[in-house]
Amino acid sequence: MASQFAVSGLTKTYGSNVVVDQLDLEIEQGEFLVLLGPSGCGKTTTLRCLAGLETPQGGSISFDGRHVFDASTKTDVPAHKRNIGMVFQSYALWPHMTVRDNIRYPLKVRKLKQAIADGAVEKAAEMVDCGALLDRYPSQLSGGQQQRVAVARGLVAQPDLVLFDEPLSNLDARLRDQVRSQIHQLHQSLGFTAVFVTHDQAEAFALADRIAIMKSGRIEQYDAPEHVFENPVSEYVAAFIGMGNRLELRRAHDGWNTSANDVIDLSNASVRDRADEGTAAVARFRPDDVQMHASMDDVPAGNVALHAELVTYEYAGRHFDVLVKTGTEQLALRASAAEHSATLRASDPGTPMVISFSPSSLRVYADPDAAAVTVPELVAPGVGDRS
Amino acid sequence: MATATATATATAGGSVKSFSISRQWQARIGYAILIAVLAYLVVLPMIRLQMLAFEDGGAGYRTQYGRYDVAEAIWTTIALALGSLVIAMVLGTVLAFAASRLPEKLGWLRIVPILPIVMPAVANIVGWAFLLSPGPGYLNVLLRKLPWWSGTDTGPIDVYTIPWIVILTGFGLTSFVYLFVSSGMQNISSEHLEAAQVSGSSTVGIFFKIVLPLLRPSLIYGGGIALLLGLGQFTGPLLLGQNSGVKVLTTEMYRRVSESPSDFAAAAAAGSPLVIFGLVLVLVQKVLLGNQTRFVTHGGKAFASSTGRATWATATVVIFSMFALVIPLIGLIIVSLTPYWSGSLSWGLLTLDNFRELWSTSAITESVVTSVLTSLGAVIICIPIGYALANLLVRGRRFKILALLADLMTALPLGIPAVIFGVGFLLTYTEPPFILYGTRTVIILVYIVLMLPFATRMQMTAMLALGNTYNEASATSGASPFVTTLRIMLPLMRPTVLSAVALMFILLTHEFAASLLVRASTTQVMGTLLFDMWQNGSYPMVAAMALLMTAVTTIGVAIAMLVGGRNVLSKL
Repeated sequence: MASQFAVSGLTKTYGSNVVVDQLDLEIEQGEFLVLLGPSGCGKTTTLRCLAGLETPQGGSISFDGRHVFDASTKTDVPAHKRNIGMVFQSYALWPHMTVRDNIRYPLKVRKLKQAIADGAVEKAAEMVDCGALLDRYPSQLSGGQQQRVAVARGLVAQPDLVLFDEPLSNLDARLRDQVRSQIHQLHQSLGFTAVFVTHDQAEAFALADRIAIMKSGRIEQYDAPEHVFENPVSEYVAAFIGMGNRLELRRAHDGWNTSANDVIDLSNASVRDRADEGTAAVARFRPDDVQMHASMDDVPAGNVALHAELVTYEYAGRHFDVLVKTGTEQLALRASAAEHSATLRASDPGTPMVISFSPSSLRVYADPDAAAVTVPELVAPGVGDRS
Repeated sequence: MATATATATATAGGSVKSFSISRQWQARIGYAILIAVLAYLVVLPMIRLQMLAFEDGGAGYRTQYGRYDVAEAIWTTIALALGSLVIAMVLGTVLAFAASRLPEKLGWLRIVPILPIVMPAVANIVGWAFLLSPGPGYLNVLLRKLPWWSGTDTGPIDVYTIPWIVILTGFGLTSFVYLFVSSGMQNISSEHLEAAQVSGSSTVGIFFKIVLPLLRPSLIYGGGIALLLGLGQFTGPLLLGQNSGVKVLTTEMYRRVSESPSDFAAAAAAGSPLVIFGLVLVLVQKVLLGNQTRFVTHGGKAFASSTGRATWATATVVIFSMFALVIPLIGLIIVSLTPYWSGSLSWGLLTLDNFRELWSTSAITESVVTSVLTSLGAVIICIPIGYALANLLVRGRRFKILALLADLMTALPLGIPAVIFGVGFLLTYTEPPFILYGTRTVIILVYIVLMLPFATRMQMTAMLALGNTYNEASATSGASPFVTTLRIMLPLMRPTVLSAVALMFILLTHEFAASLLVRASTTQVMGTLLFDMWQNGSYPMVAAMALLMTAVTTIGVAIAMLVGGRNVLSKL
């Protein structure tokens, strides 16, 4: 089946700097795609190429089977003829127009008089709870209101594709959640096709039908949020989606050695563990999968236990965010406040302690620093495969 | 799960016309035509001048630089430029700092140092001449009442000498430096100063270690402009120095052209050092400023207005306005109300006859009409040209060479003195293919050239400040570039455009140097007519005319403020 929107071999360079590198992407009708990655990974440039605001050097982009950009035939449909809507990080509401005029603008310049007559402007404003603000100017609105109006402006003409360029980044934390959930509801009820750029994994997981994680102008993983969360294909992806803890491992005859020379036995976690002795690898896991114990005796059966010493801790309500050190590596964990408050408050930095985690929570990758060694069976889709 | 390459997308390839390429070429051709027209206006007169100067084996250069007094003229030019630059830089920076320290209530005083721009240079100069002329100058008469200067008929001050020409020119340039430095100061937030304070810096230390370094771009830019204006200074040396034998290169040019037989080749040669230096300065400034984003300071509160007693600040601004504006105006008013100019004054002699004569002389009313029409005409033509050039400079990444040429074209009229353009236009437009001498058209053309830098740079600054997002939001909403310009860019740039109109109107109704060369006896603007009166010695009429010029400008600015809001002037 042909995808509604297809990007193929997209390449964009600034001078000698390759920002988007031979990128392929397909977006289905009604899909909410999130481009996720750190700053400088090319996600915004990709979005702007889709919008027609940047001219790529190579590749093609097609909307509904029709090329809007094709380097080989020198086709480049300008932004205003692509039938898109776009929501910007800085809102970009025109300050000299009222909210009504701002929302009406896409209908007006596309000469959709019938829609205006049918009250599309008012409906769009109602959709984002801004119906009462129609006659105000943008400078009289809060940041959250401005961005909701900008969303209404992006959707009002029912474009083929709606593009979001980090629309929540300028909002403070509380407003960010509100506007995010509003965008999610709108997508569920209206079913528009969207591409949403962000560097925030929580936003990506909350909104996406599919997530494309980008690295250096290429897509590293393109998958449903659950798959990305459970089975990150590379250490880069794992680190980016919250597997903040990193342990360097080396194959020994009886298991895997940490830098503190503790031995981790991964054989119980149905690991296809046939690596040669001396092979280097890296394990990634989440802070919430790590537990803290008073002594070795409290470690649950089947868990891997490690000796560590306390570095620091921070109170965070129901839990403590604890930082410990094992060997040369620092690991983060979450300790239940009810259980560990008294112990932690009485401990100085350097206090010895025991931590443990289930081997199945680990994802193990060939160590990128040990370039010569490859461990194909350890790489994707994750060693501790629970399936 | 990894993305498969699209296969079904090739079906419609090529069915869509290649919009972008042809659009891009349309724009490229449009810009190229505009630049070619501007090059004809700006560059051709300069080339004609040089060709003439090099004719007959450089006869023009030999005539001009073989003269016994050429070294003196060059030395005077440099002294005038450097002297007035120092005065303007010190006063301008001090005034800008003082203006930023004004108490809240007196914040409106911030506009006062700009007001001398509203007063025409010719009016200012003759105003001071009426006060400080060694014989009948009113201030000299007063000073001679003091015991140690009594018993003489002349002095103690002689405004017709080089030091006083330098001082008065310096006053005139101070407002320009003030404009640049105070806008630079607005970029320094109070948090920058407080950070230095809590790190242990004293007030003086903060000024020298934080404020001055952050002001560097404004100081270099403002200083560069002041130096160029000082080198090209014409009004002061001509009006004050003509009879006392003070010569600078610009007045030499004027003399060569106005004496008979006129010698354009020698005039062109006389102007060459100024042209070369102007070009060098423009280039050096670009290199020195380099990456301006380094000096962009971020957010925070605006430059803190002082809470303490800032009497020194208020006093500085008020005293400057006295010298730059009030005192010369008083000189003009006194002379304009007397039947003849002499050192003595009595109430019984005061009369309005001079103003009555202004209204009844058709040459004068005609000069007002010509001034207003040519200024407005030039402004109306210049604003869209400036918009197009600013657009090219800001968004013209695709048109590198054209953008470079546009940059050059808008820098040249700033680097090259107006007198030289006047001579060049006189030479170019008294010959085929366009014989325009004596028409208002040639005045409008030279005015357009002189205003190109202002029209372009003010709009460019506004575009840079607005950024690209408003345009992109419009494009992604489905609006064509034309609709975007009409509905988004123009409304957002309205305040800037009106400010530019106001500034250009002020500068043009005052214009003297270039006008003096391209005018004909039948086509006069206000400034050139005033000069003729000055030459004829009808001083009370000169004073009345100078006041009339100031009034016309003030009315123009008032209209601009009515239309564009009260901020029009402060946006300058």
